[in-house]
Amino acid sequence: MRIIGPDEMVFGVDTLEDSKAFLRDYGLEDDGTGRFLALDGTAVTVRAKDDPDLPPPLPTNNNLRQTIWGVEDQATLDEIEAELSKDRTVNKAADGTLTCQDDAGFEIAFRITRRTELNLPPERINSPGAAPGRAANEIGADEDAPARPRTLSHIVYFVPDWEVMAKFYIERLKFVITDKFTNTGPFLRPQANDDHHVLFMIQTPPYMQGIEHLAFHMKGPTELMLAGSRMVKMGYQSFWGPGRHKFGSNWFWYFSSPMGVNIEYDADMDKHDGDWTEREAPMSPENSQMFLFENVEKWAPGGPPKGKA
Amino acid sequence: MTAPRALCRLDEIADGGAVGLCPDARGRATVVAVRRGEVVHAWRNLCPHQDRVRLGWRRDAFMNGEGTHLMCAAHGALFRPEDGICTSGPCIGDALNRVHVTVENGVVLGQPEDLPAEAVA
Ligand SMILES: [Fe+2]
Repeated sequence: MRIIGPDEMVFGVDTLEDSKAFLRDYGLEDDGTGRFLALDGTAVTVRAKDDPDLPPPLPTNNNLRQTIWGVEDQATLDEIEAELSKDRTVNKAADGTLTCQDDAGFEIAFRITRRTELNLPPERINSPGAAPGRAANEIGADEDAPARPRTLSHIVYFVPDWEVMAKFYIERLKFVITDKFTNTGPFLRPQANDDHHVLFMIQTPPYMQGIEHLAFHMKGPTELMLAGSRMVKMGYQSFWGPGRHKFGSNWFWYFSSPMGVNIEYDADMDKHDGDWTEREAPMSPENSQMFLFENVEKWAPGGPPKGKA
Repeated sequence: MTAPRALCRLDEIADGGAVGLCPDARGRATVVAVRRGEVVHAWRNLCPHQDRVRLGWRRDAFMNGEGTHLMCAAHGALFRPEDGICTSGPCIGDALNRVHVTVENGVVLGQPEDLPAEAVA
């Protein structure tokens, strides 16, 4: 089943203007309709929580209203419609978008992806013993470089029963497990995406059900640090990071947002194919990251001690 | 009891709003103060849901959109400004830790021994 990944995440909030400012400052492009786009057209959409066009809210206080999955083609949409119609109502909009609920009660939708293929340079580094990543006189540290999220990378849900949820995405939508935290849920990727994970879940009491965080891929670790540092400078609240995860290998930096959800920058995630054998580890600080840093104010050592010439 | 310390002026907090006070060495507020008329309630800036997690999403941005509750923007927990109790979200039923403050002559005062140890100002 050729599902690519999350195309768009829809929120209903009571902090509309603050949420819009956050998403702009995070680096997404405001299209003027409440939709904030990454470079490839994947997006986060925010609307006032009483907007009648929004899908219904969760029974909890989480602001997520809908996860829209992007698929490769009409054949995949037809396949999904046939599969999910077996045991639930699947609605079809005029533009062909399918909407229904998953087995955990989240509002989900499927459409032919709106993402465009990106053709952009990677972060280039110079590494002794390897061919230089950058040409002579090409500078690596550009503080004024743009730092725009490239594409919606992954989403993480709080769910009351991870087994029910994982089963739905694995058995019905043919997602593949890459790695697993014991008793918490697997890291999953759909068939048309080789990223380590686009979906992960954490088991919680039912009153917490919702989205825990969502993440966008950045060009590389340097751009991630630059984007995160700018957020800190603007006064935003760092939640976790910067650091580097173990499962997925992605660099991360999470920020609290006025939508009541963490928004992550990530970079340099592992790719996998059918030859990969899943790993399993208990969820713990040790297993959650290779290392963890926190941003500090800029500082530099000088030569002589203070007050001496 | 040691002499109280001035934390801010009352008029530096909008009525119904909140500000961050008592920064740590890295400039992060360790205390959140909410104003309701002439009364100020102050709370340790830590969410009971997970250690290390601070409330709000931006400097001095701590209230939900309706201005009725303090919000932990990480996972959306809402806290009543008057008693610090979480009324919805991950830590429902738990409470923020109170920092005792008084208002005298338009100045918000705290007891040094009651302020977070990591606060430097
Ligand atoms: Fe993540």
